[in-house]
Amino acid sequence: MRPTGPLLLITVLQGLSGGMAVALTTALIFLRPSAELAHAVRMEPLIIVVALAGGVASFFHMHRIQAARFVLRRLKTSWLSREALTTGLYIGGLTGLAAGIDLGNWHGALLLGTAAGVAGLGLVAMFVTAMLYSTITAMRSWHSPLTVIAMMGVGVFSGWLVMAAIFAVVGTNPAPLREAAAVAVVLGLLLMAVKAQQWHFFAGARTSVMASTGTGLPLGPHRLQDSGTSRIPYKTQTQIWPDLRPGPKRLLYGLMFLLLTAVPVAAMGAISAGASPAGWFVGGAVSAVVGAFLERWLFFADATHSSRVWFTDHVKRASRVATHRGSPALLERYRRLSK
Amino acid sequence: MQLTIITDLNKCVGCKSCQVSCKEHNASGAFGSVPDHAPYNDPDGMWWNRIVTMESGEFPNTSVLYLPKACMHCYDAPCVPVCPTGASYKRVDNGVVLVDYDACIGCQLCIWACPYGVREFDEHEGVVKKCTMCVDRLEDESLPLRERQPACVQSCPTHARVFGDLDDQQSEVSQLVAQRQGFALLPELGARPAVHYLPRRPSPVVLAEEEVLKVMEERY
Repeated sequence: MRPTGPLLLITVLQGLSGGMAVALTTALIFLRPSAELAHAVRMEPLIIVVALAGGVASFFHMHRIQAARFVLRRLKTSWLSREALTTGLYIGGLTGLAAGIDLGNWHGALLLGTAAGVAGLGLVAMFVTAMLYSTITAMRSWHSPLTVIAMMGVGVFSGWLVMAAIFAVVGTNPAPLREAAAVAVVLGLLLMAVKAQQWHFFAGARTSVMASTGTGLPLGPHRLQDSGTSRIPYKTQTQIWPDLRPGPKRLLYGLMFLLLTAVPVAAMGAISAGASPAGWFVGGAVSAVVGAFLERWLFFADATHSSRVWFTDHVKRASRVATHRGSPALLERYRRLSK
Repeated sequence: MQLTIITDLNKCVGCKSCQVSCKEHNASGAFGSVPDHAPYNDPDGMWWNRIVTMESGEFPNTSVLYLPKACMHCYDAPCVPVCPTGASYKRVDNGVVLVDYDACIGCQLCIWACPYGVREFDEHEGVVKKCTMCVDRLEDESLPLRERQPACVQSCPTHARVFGDLDDQQSEVSQLVAQRQGFALLPELGARPAVHYLPRRPSPVVLAEEEVLKVMEERY
């Protein structure tokens, strides 16, 4: 489908801020109270900025903003209604937490409890957003639990790295940062495995939707000649998008794996091995965020919708098992039979 | 009641009369919602009814198949529950799936949820539009009874399209579906479309007289 800027910003930034909230709560639990921790906690409004940027982007995704007042009408059935509610609650929770830190001087159990609650809300918002995509049956590439796992994984991993980078830059003790780096290595490797599985699932979804078999029409196979008008309606039907060519697609997937997982995991590995954390964390975080945007772009651009069968014909592929090997025994048998 | 349109794929000749009459009625009629901003520069534009042309069978036994494709007005329309504002809805009294443009935010989630690719986004008005089954004609009591049917049905020169109530066992559409093995598209996606198609009969085998005589002589 057509990958639009607002969609990329909503999904990536919401996940990023959720991951940052999770990382902040983890820091509150495991770091002893210190001047660096107090200084780092003051960075909490940055999470709000990231979440708000995603929220503002969602307004640009709506094309008739005057109807936005009806957006909570279908909480019972629509994951988009639920997304609007949970993201709103999450941003409200973040703002309340920031007010508590700055104005109420919260500390101890109150601060920890509120931060954990807000991080939980962030995870719920990420889950609801992922379910929105995962439950669309017609989008064959997304209709899988992998969508939820991958989307939440990308959010938590990138947010974790960005928050750890902030902690490293403000001068937190290196020992807990090395532990954070070790956790990031595990998360990164798991994410790599999930994304590889999802890439495989996307490829399977693409080959499962073909005009020859997929329409439900009897007396096949069928080959598409005309989709009804002179061109495929990419402008008015955003669920379809021109196929990415195999070469550039492989390149983009490779780049995505490199930026989203390989580079950050290598950077975290260097920190665990004893390198100075700040530079490596910042480098890893920047790479992960850029990789997250590329991952989301591919998530939309490479998705296969069931209606594709009426808009693009499948590429004719040669057999993957045929060989040039002759059949001399069969030929000899045929010659003997024909005599 | 579930209003529907049945298309006999044997009779459809791909003239696109239904495609054009749909656009003509809905762009210039009283309802006036199919945009036609640059008809001479942009022939694609928005179409609520598209006639897909397909080649079927394997060479040399091939034929051309025309498949009129508009909203299927599904029993379990996937586009309805995903809509956050309730703009997409299905009427209980006649089963027609409609869009309330005043409540639509243009998020396009319904376009992605529809398995058939029959919803279209109007970027000028910022809303999603689709076939209304000419509900304005169906409920216009000033029209004579025979004209209270969708424009595409009325304009079909070969009477390939039949309009009626699929829930009424005695209706013509129900009889056709039952007797002619009417089928719906992509049934595995679970939307239970109301719109059905009547399958094409296999092409008859054409034999030359000499071939028949030759076989008769050989055998008898």
